Amino acid sequence: MKLLPGPLRRRREEPAPPPREAGDGDLRKGHEQVALEREKEADRQRRREALQEVPIAVAGWIDERTGAGPFLRGFLYRKVPKGTNWFYTLGSATMFAFLSQAVTGVFLAMYYKPTATEAYSSIQHIDEDIFLGQFVRGMHKWGASVMVVLIFLHMGRTFFFGAYKYPRELNWIIGVVLLILTMAMGLTGYLLPFDMRGLWATVVAVNLNSSGPIVGPYLADFLRGGAEFGATTISRFYAIHMLLIPVLIAALIGAHLYLVAKLGTTAPPWLKAEKARELAKEEI
Amino acid sequence: MPGAFEGETVTRRRLFTGGAMAAGGVATAAFGLPALGFAVGPLFERSVPPSFHDVGPVADFNPQTYVAKVITIDAEVAEAGKATVYVRRFDATRDSDRLKQPYVAISNRCMHLGCPIRYVQASERFICPCHGGVYEFDGKVAGGPPVRPLDRFETKVERGRVKVGPRFSLDSHLHRFKVRDPSNHLDGLWQYIYPSRPTT
Amino acid sequence: MNAREKEQYLREYAVLKSQGKPFFPYAVLKDSLMACIVLIVIITMAILFGSELGPKADLTSTTYSPRPEWYFFFLFELLRVVKPPALVFIATVGIPTICMVLLILLPFFDRNPERNPLKRPIATLAGITVIAAMAYLTIEGAVAGSPTEIEMGVAKQLEPGRAVAASSGCLGCHKIGDNGNSGPGPDLTKVGARLPRQAIARTLINPTPPMPTYSKLRQQNPKEFSQLVEFLAALK
Repeated sequence: MKLLPGPLRRRREEPAPPPREAGDGDLRKGHEQVALEREKEADRQRRREALQEVPIAVAGWIDERTGAGPFLRGFLYRKVPKGTNWFYTLGSATMFAFLSQAVTGVFLAMYYKPTATEAYSSIQHIDEDIFLGQFVRGMHKWGASVMVVLIFLHMGRTFFFGAYKYPRELNWIIGVVLLILTMAMGLTGYLLPFDMRGLWATVVAVNLNSSGPIVGPYLADFLRGGAEFGATTISRFYAIHMLLIPVLIAALIGAHLYLVAKLGTTAPPWLKAEKARELAKEEI
Repeated sequence: MPGAFEGETVTRRRLFTGGAMAAGGVATAAFGLPALGFAVGPLFERSVPPSFHDVGPVADFNPQTYVAKVITIDAEVAEAGKATVYVRRFDATRDSDRLKQPYVAISNRCMHLGCPIRYVQASERFICPCHGGVYEFDGKVAGGPPVRPLDRFETKVERGRVKVGPRFSLDSHLHRFKVRDPSNHLDGLWQYIYPSRPTT
Repeated sequence: MNAREKEQYLREYAVLKSQGKPFFPYAVLKDSLMACIVLIVIITMAILFGSELGPKADLTSTTYSPRPEWYFFFLFELLRVVKPPALVFIATVGIPTICMVLLILLPFFDRNPERNPLKRPIATLAGITVIAAMAYLTIEGAVAGSPTEIEMGVAKQLEPGRAVAASSGCLGCHKIGDNGNSGPGPDLTKVGARLPRQAIARTLINPTPPMPTYSKLRQQNPKEFSQLVEFLAALK
């Protein structure tokens, strides 16, 4: 199956070097020994080739049953426009930061207890008793800031390159929703250690929601699980932070990536295609 | 079409399509509505049953200054269920009698966005550290962004001890209202824009 | 964009794309390197700065001053700037909602087919203005000092006066150095240069409303009152 691109394929398909020709000095060994050696060499060669066939056979087995070959080839070898530079890595960097948050979050979730009475002590337990607990919690905390910085940089790059215009408007809308969800993750996650800073920031944030006319107080009640900060508030924020929003973010990232692969990334806006301009002139 | 009579509108296809949509709708509602009800349910029941909390003997309090006391509103959540109350005896020379409370018990939450406020004896004011809200001695807004006077608690005296009860909100003329969230205005038409909710 | 402009763009794009390189391995290499850099940055920050855990949550506090995470500082500072109570809900929900709606609808009201930032001055200027405003508000939110302490350095004999000023609630309405709120009262950082000692003392006893009077302080604790006046008179 042709999965490897040009330069790599050639290196693999190079014919194996010819077996060493028997020289004059070998006459002393005798003809049978020479023949034996040649056979052993051929054996080794055959075994090497058989081993090299194994990964190709496995890939072929999967391809036959999933039909993934053409899709992967299309996805991996699609062309990116001329002039694609380092600015274009910000999007995948944001996704990578999200993955880092997801993985560190899963490990933190194994030790965290989402009740008002035990949340703080479970975080202290993570910091003090669990091996690398403080490190993983630090990664999760600073990863959040890094992700927010990257998402704003990515949005700025998209804005200044005009990459939200035809035909990528839907992609931009999905991106803005992802931005809002990311800020919501920061807001809900902040309460979970249940220290002074998190508690009061959440109290103010929920009251901010409450200031919206008519619907505001009900929205605040929904977030808090009642009129006062209570036992259900932490559980609600935990469920929103751990289940609801990550699922939405993952689904929207999937849609965002699909559109990026289908429509292609834009070329940097200062590049003009000479051939296209000539073609356009011809038409007029 | 065989079997159909003149002017038949319900074809087999239309019947089955309608049936599939209806059955799908019922199945979705079967798991969706209870989940939604579960999430939205707390909005419609009273979160904290009203009760009175003992804050100390009558001798602890005087009409010239506020004494800070801690009451437990929701015992299940330990520190998150407590609140600080500033208590002072009613002073007929300074307070109007409209609210009919023997003691003035003021909540420690700013009426701008809920930050904790402090009573400063030197200037007889309540100060909010967040955005510069200042309140006068009786809780009315003296300056800054807060939208209404500080909330108060009902008070009563039982067997020589002062008891603090459910919270209520005030508009700027010190008329009593059911509890509202901090950022909700209450004067005039504002009380309809920020209606009272079933949770209180 | 009308149909002709759309077609022109698609044609130009097709040419530029065909002149490019395959995603794997060229773009994937850059992406992977960037991912490694991101990971190194996160790990370095986690090791250097650690993960602090403040004191346990306590709703009964009367001395704590709430602060949000740094990426919400611009909203926090916006709330400090909007003072009139009737406009509170505009700053809390009005402005952020309008900004989110504008952001989502951007491709629909910006229909200029030009994509080069140097050739779309309105969009570029608007973008730079918004970024500058958010950066300014974020920095202001970050340096805003605590409203219950005065961090300004003073001579030793003025320290008791500074403590009285910090605990008497002056910072609720006045700015002294980096601390306090910029309203409703005037900035006191240089009040000693504007008003003589006697005028300061008189203002404290007989102020312009809504400033409260500190006559009770002078009655009950005249030493602290004079320390306060000394401190304020020395602010030049």
